[in-house]
Amino acid sequence: MRRSALAMVVVVAMALPAVVHSSEREVRSPQDIFADRCAYCHEAGGWGTRVLARRVPEGQAELRQRDNLPPALTMLVVRRGIGAMPPFTPTELSDAELEALAEWLASGTPRQRP
Amino acid sequence: MPVLPPGLTQESFDEALDEFRAAIGAQWVFTSDADRASYLDPFDIGDQQDHASAAALAPADVEGCQKILAIANRFKVPLWPVSMGKNFAYGTAAPEMRGSVILDLKRMNRILEINEEMGTAVVEPGVSFFDFKAELDRRGSRLWMSGPAHSWGSVIGNALEHGVGYTPYGQHAEQICGMEVLLADGTLVRTGLGALEGTREWQAYRWPFGPALDGLFTQSNFAIVTKMGLWLMPEPEGMAGVSIRVPRKDDFRALVDTLRPLRMTDTINAPYTIANGWRQITGGRVRAQVWNGPGAIPPERMEELLEERGNGWWSVIFNLFDSPAGLDLRLDKIRRAFAEGLPDATIEVRRWQQGDPQEPWMRQEVSLAPLGAVDWGGSPGGHSDLGPIVAPLGDRAEQVYDIIERRFLEYGKDPWVGMFGISSRALVFVADMYFTRTDAEDTARCRALFRQLCEDMQAIGVGLYRTHLRFMDDAAAMHAWGDHALPRLNDRIKTALDPNGILAPGKQGIGTWDKQLGAQP
Repeated sequence: MRRSALAMVVVVAMALPAVVHSSEREVRSPQDIFADRCAYCHEAGGWGTRVLARRVPEGQAELRQRDNLPPALTMLVVRRGIGAMPPFTPTELSDAELEALAEWLASGTPRQRP
Repeated sequence: MPVLPPGLTQESFDEALDEFRAAIGAQWVFTSDADRASYLDPFDIGDQQDHASAAALAPADVEGCQKILAIANRFKVPLWPVSMGKNFAYGTAAPEMRGSVILDLKRMNRILEINEEMGTAVVEPGVSFFDFKAELDRRGSRLWMSGPAHSWGSVIGNALEHGVGYTPYGQHAEQICGMEVLLADGTLVRTGLGALEGTREWQAYRWPFGPALDGLFTQSNFAIVTKMGLWLMPEPEGMAGVSIRVPRKDDFRALVDTLRPLRMTDTINAPYTIANGWRQITGGRVRAQVWNGPGAIPPERMEELLEERGNGWWSVIFNLFDSPAGLDLRLDKIRRAFAEGLPDATIEVRRWQQGDPQEPWMRQEVSLAPLGAVDWGGSPGGHSDLGPIVAPLGDRAEQVYDIIERRFLEYGKDPWVGMFGISSRALVFVADMYFTRTDAEDTARCRALFRQLCEDMQAIGVGLYRTHLRFMDDAAAMHAWGDHALPRLNDRIKTALDPNGILAPGKQGIGTWDKQLGAQP
């Protein structure tokens, strides 16, 4: 069940349009975007973490600790919202920034905390 | 699936989109399904596609907005301006009329002025409470922001929608002093003293020569607000956080009558909140953890839960702002009033003074706390709020409360009711209907409950302070005095200022849109 839901997510995400790059906006790093837009809810003690703790295996509720976060899922959830999380528009983070954020979260790098 | 503005063909809309791209840059015209999905209302009480947009446009400045308006007027493209687009529970960024094009003003995000001496600021629509607080902190400002329950939204947007905070400046629309507005024909106007070349008084005085127009552009669709002046509170010498527990349900009338004179004399010098029993039992849990039976949580179960927590049937919270000696006087007067009016109430007080670290009860930090309660009734959750404006007279408040509680129980919904003592002479009720978004029966029941309560409120002469997109026509229609003279006047102003009806059709029920012809009849 879980696998088929994930497969559907990947298919939908592949139908997303080509990444549009902005020439006018400074492209922010995934770390900066995470700190600016995600951390408030998705670090320890945040509302997102508390809600996810009810749904995901132990140790996975904090987004940066997740070891199973496919980029396509992050991209879909950010644009469409999920549960109590509202969507983010392309004026809040561009497709290029979102893609980089999703890759960064999937890479395991965020788990290597200083 | 593509969505078109009413009255336009795919061909004419494509032509308009090409012109928009040429005007503001192709990368700022969003038409893909994924991009449009990000402007849907995630917490809609029904099918969110009912309020789907046809596209979104994100101009960088006023000039970009003017170009967009010229094109929209020519093609009769309806525009739905949003600032941060985080109007949760009231529609988020979604338009009232399906097929409108979102005019996303987030890129216009400059804080143009913070004047320490005058306690004023001038901001653009894309400035969020997060951004604004960060800038005040960066400057080491001695001015405080009055933020609403969640800080994601726009400073301008919240003031325009008559939002509320928890300081003496907590009625945000009352802090507006001077605007720059863009009319549908592209004319740029500065209101009040901003109309004088070289003025230094734009943010100094709200009552200029001639009519004071700022209020005209709040909760309306008469113009696009591109700049706003606001008053900011100087940091107080001290604060007291007051929590009052009132044991019995039938204490409500006495509670309202005890609070009214304290608020009217400015002894309580910031909005207070009252929570009923159901509203106090959430506390980070979800409903299924405390009640799994059918319908609303029964009063008996709710009272058990209150007792477990040591809470009274009513809870009152407010902060006081003054010097330490001034706070002593205020607290003494409050204690005496409660000793006389509600001797069984318990009063707890926390104190802060300049130089101490700030604490969460002061509500001076940015927050997204309300998002934590969204799933209360089931996931994926949502809520919509009925907000009657009520005189803070015990008998009147009780009359309204009793109707709301009775109807909620009748419709099988928890009567999750709070009240803001928003000003010296008004209580705004916030009766939240929590629902599971994917449960069509549940959302239909909430819509029916909301409309039933609109009828009930109208029958006793009570109106609403704001509503979700779905109920804007219902709320506007409640203003029936003089053969709906006020809504008719709004329509006449709308027709005069925006003859093609391109700005936010349907907003607050103002103006009508002929869905066949794509224009105002």
